[in-house]
Amino acid sequence: MSRWLHMRLQAPLGSFGGETVDARGIIRDFPAQSMMTGLLANALGWPRTMTGEHQALQDRIVFGALWEDEVPLERLTDYQTASLNKDDQAWTTRGVPARRAGGPNTYEGSHQRWRDYHCDLRLAVVLRFNPDEQSPTLDQAANALVRPARPLFIGRKPCLPSAPLFAGWIDAPNAPAALTAIAPAASTGSRACWPASEGTEGAARITSITDERNFLTGLHGGARRICEGLIGAPEPAG
Amino acid sequence: MPDARFLQIHTLHGYPAALLNRDESGLAKRMTYGGSIRTRISSQCLKRHWRTAEGPHALQGIDGATAAVRSRDIVTRRIIEPLAAAGRDQAVIDALEPSFQKLVYGDKGTTKGSRQPLLLGEPEIEYLAGEATRLASESGNDAKVAEKSIAAWLKSERANLRAIEKATTLPAGLAAALFGRMVTSDPMANLDAAVHVAHAFTVHAEESESDYFSVVDDLKRGDEDAGAAHINETELTAGLFYGYVVLDRTTLLRNLGGDTEMAGEIGERLVHLIATVSPGAKLGSTAPYSYTSWVLAEAGDRQPRSLAEAFREPCAPAMLEAEEAAHQHLSNLDRMYGNGEARRIASLSNREAPGAAAATLSDLAGWAGTALRTGLA
Repeated sequence: MSRWLHMRLQAPLGSFGGETVDARGIIRDFPAQSMMTGLLANALGWPRTMTGEHQALQDRIVFGALWEDEVPLERLTDYQTASLNKDDQAWTTRGVPARRAGGPNTYEGSHQRWRDYHCDLRLAVVLRFNPDEQSPTLDQAANALVRPARPLFIGRKPCLPSAPLFAGWIDAPNAPAALTAIAPAASTGSRACWPASEGTEGAARITSITDERNFLTGLHGGARRICEGLIGAPEPAG
Repeated sequence: MPDARFLQIHTLHGYPAALLNRDESGLAKRMTYGGSIRTRISSQCLKRHWRTAEGPHALQGIDGATAAVRSRDIVTRRIIEPLAAAGRDQAVIDALEPSFQKLVYGDKGTTKGSRQPLLLGEPEIEYLAGEATRLASESGNDAKVAEKSIAAWLKSERANLRAIEKATTLPAGLAAALFGRMVTSDPMANLDAAVHVAHAFTVHAEESESDYFSVVDDLKRGDEDAGAAHINETELTAGLFYGYVVLDRTTLLRNLGGDTEMAGEIGERLVHLIATVSPGAKLGSTAPYSYTSWVLAEAGDRQPRSLAEAFREPCAPAMLEAEEAAHQHLSNLDRMYGNGEARRIASLSNREAPGAAAATLSDLAGWAGTALRTGLA
């Protein structure tokens, strides 16, 4: 039996970032392992330069997620423009400023970007640390959610939550069981995902995704096996 | 008194017959919430107009001269003194110091009275302090070596240091301190935004009209073709928008090199900007200027949360209903989670809000500034 932290990710707009393609920031149905890490690290007030601590935390997180609504997932693509200049420069800690490539004509028009969002996001998450004895402990993480060092956001900075993220504690032997304990009493079942290492029973599909970050290089890589399926669906008759 | 780590600013702001924020097809931006489509103003649109606004509360108007007074000790305190504390040779420190003072404060920087305002944030301070430490340790106890090292460093780093100067000169540095600055190739040089701005959305279902218009050529003679020169449609929307902003005091101070006075001034001005600056486009054809009808400010240290859920069920497009929904939701939150924030409310209707002392906008802005300056609500 393990103790799971129950979180509610609820906001009018939320983002579970996937691989950015050119100027298009796509989103996935479920949050990435790296996103859960960043969310807790933000609550704990860690600067991004604490790469070792971020890496260790990511390695310890075990989480499952479940969509609370029967309403179909709705997405929005936000159009953004930025006025860039060929002469823009930024200082760097390498001792030489970063510059923009390309000639002046490259910057004549506005730079266009598209960023996807989930509308009316309501996602339940169950999370534990494996092992829990290291710092930060699950209790410290929960306290940080209630009184965070910095404002919490779900994916991107404008995605501010409309409810407290901390929703309580669950005792369950594994992630699917924890998700079952918090699933709404929906007749058709709620879409959920959890790590394959927590048990594959009840999974509609088992797949590999890349959602872990190497915090030193800043790049995502590797593969993590996850299950996706319906939690709380009634057993078929006969 | 609660610790004013976060300042939350909620607004209900009405705009009739306007097209404030468009997507690439020229239509108003939208989002679905609670199953109904709402008109939306994007976060980046709001931030841009607050950042570039002119007028009495403009961010650019923050007094650079007094900032120079307050920041003139940063090099001494954060870059030079740590060298002494680490046991470096005083002669070596004396060889390095003038260059750092001059670097940050300009040619006349070696005497205290004559410094240009530079707004150094934590990333800049840490970088310069790190470089000073490196140069000092490489020089050992030899002041002459230190002099050579610093001269070589200034030469090789010239472009980078000029970039630091450009990024941190007021008023440009102020925008970065509030809204952040990202360098994709070097996260350690990033400034995190100290202000979070949610996309604003209407508390009611979208109200939109397609305005058909024609352009008539007045110079046409009677014998010429009588048709219009151009016909087109543009969208017009009316909206009572719920806006939500969170100011992160810790990050703001980090970006301002610890300057609490400036943090307070920024907070006060930002409240005025949020309440009165239009994010609108189509200024000539729609005059989209309005002041907010209701602003609620909360200061505390619990996880900030928007009041968007008050409008999950779209309410009638009227202030009475919207205020009631917001106040009721706030009451419900207090009942379930306890009231942990200090609140002020300024509204046209002057109706009571749960746990909030009534104020004018100026009072509310002043209270917000004080909370940011002192860290107490």
